[in-house]
Amino acid sequence: MAKTILTVDDSPSMRMLLRHTLVQQGHMVHEAVDGIAALEWLATNDQPDLMITDINMPRMDGFGLVEAVRAQRGGGEMPILVLTTESSDAKKTRAREAGATGWIVKPFDPDKLASAIRRVTL
Amino acid sequence: MQPLRHDINGGLSREIRINIVQGSCRVTDNDDVVMSTVLGSCVACCLFDPLARVGGMNHFLLAEPREGTVCSTAEAERYGLYAMELLINEMLQAGAIRSRLRAHLYGGANLHAGMQAIGTSNADFARAFLLRDGIPLAHSNLGGVLARRVDFRATAGKARCRLVAADVPAVTRGPVLPRGGGAVELF
Repeated sequence: MAKTILTVDDSPSMRMLLRHTLVQQGHMVHEAVDGIAALEWLATNDQPDLMITDINMPRMDGFGLVEAVRAQRGGGEMPILVLTTESSDAKKTRAREAGATGWIVKPFDPDKLASAIRRVTL
Repeated sequence: MQPLRHDINGGLSREIRINIVQGSCRVTDNDDVVMSTVLGSCVACCLFDPLARVGGMNHFLLAEPREGTVCSTAEAERYGLYAMELLINEMLQAGAIRSRLRAHLYGGANLHAGMQAIGTSNADFARAFLLRDGIPLAHSNLGGVLARRVDFRATAGKARCRLVAADVPAVTRGPVLPRGGGAVELF
């Protein structure tokens, strides 16, 4: 079933690849270039079914974004997947403690990503 | 202590050489480090932040599948994107600022006439990535039919690129993915 997904990544190339992959899977995609832009988008639009965010971004990184979303009214409901090249356990723990729903290591596998989306948006 | 050597700019320095092999990526803020690699159809992207004096190099195979296999455009993009993401992330973690990043591109040769122009597609991908991501290309030496040796003094952002007839290391493995690459973990 089609979901509305907000992708947050400062790399236009990665946003393009994510959009290509997610649209192929039948989803509707919105994009933000960093954590601040994502919060601005969330403040003026209906909450998406899912947010997928990078970690390393200017202005506000992925950890800050997850914490800010979870602190908002209703922000505790939306699944948030962290998509990153980082693979350290410490950063994974930090993401979990910030309130992320899951962790995906780049380069992502489209089938695994699709499976994760299905599981967290049931 | 490292011995004094003639550096790539003709001066003397305590040089620490790091070989950047296929699929790898290194970043440094050490002025003595010179990163070296030999490229055929692969591409190396060198990034540096002239103010933070941080620099790094990757070496990616991109669309180069194992012989007899087919690599889709999406797969190739993932590998190339991964290599670039990894380099940029490590640069930022070492103190570089994204808006100050400058790039060099090397490699992308088509070594074997009559075969698919893998080098050209690699070079095209790398140029397109930098353009899309707004990273200025300070210098490039791409294409042709000969291999290249690149020495990059990372913190200074200075490189020397020579065409070589020497054998390029054979592509014996696919791109090096991170441990658990593509893995999904739900909390």
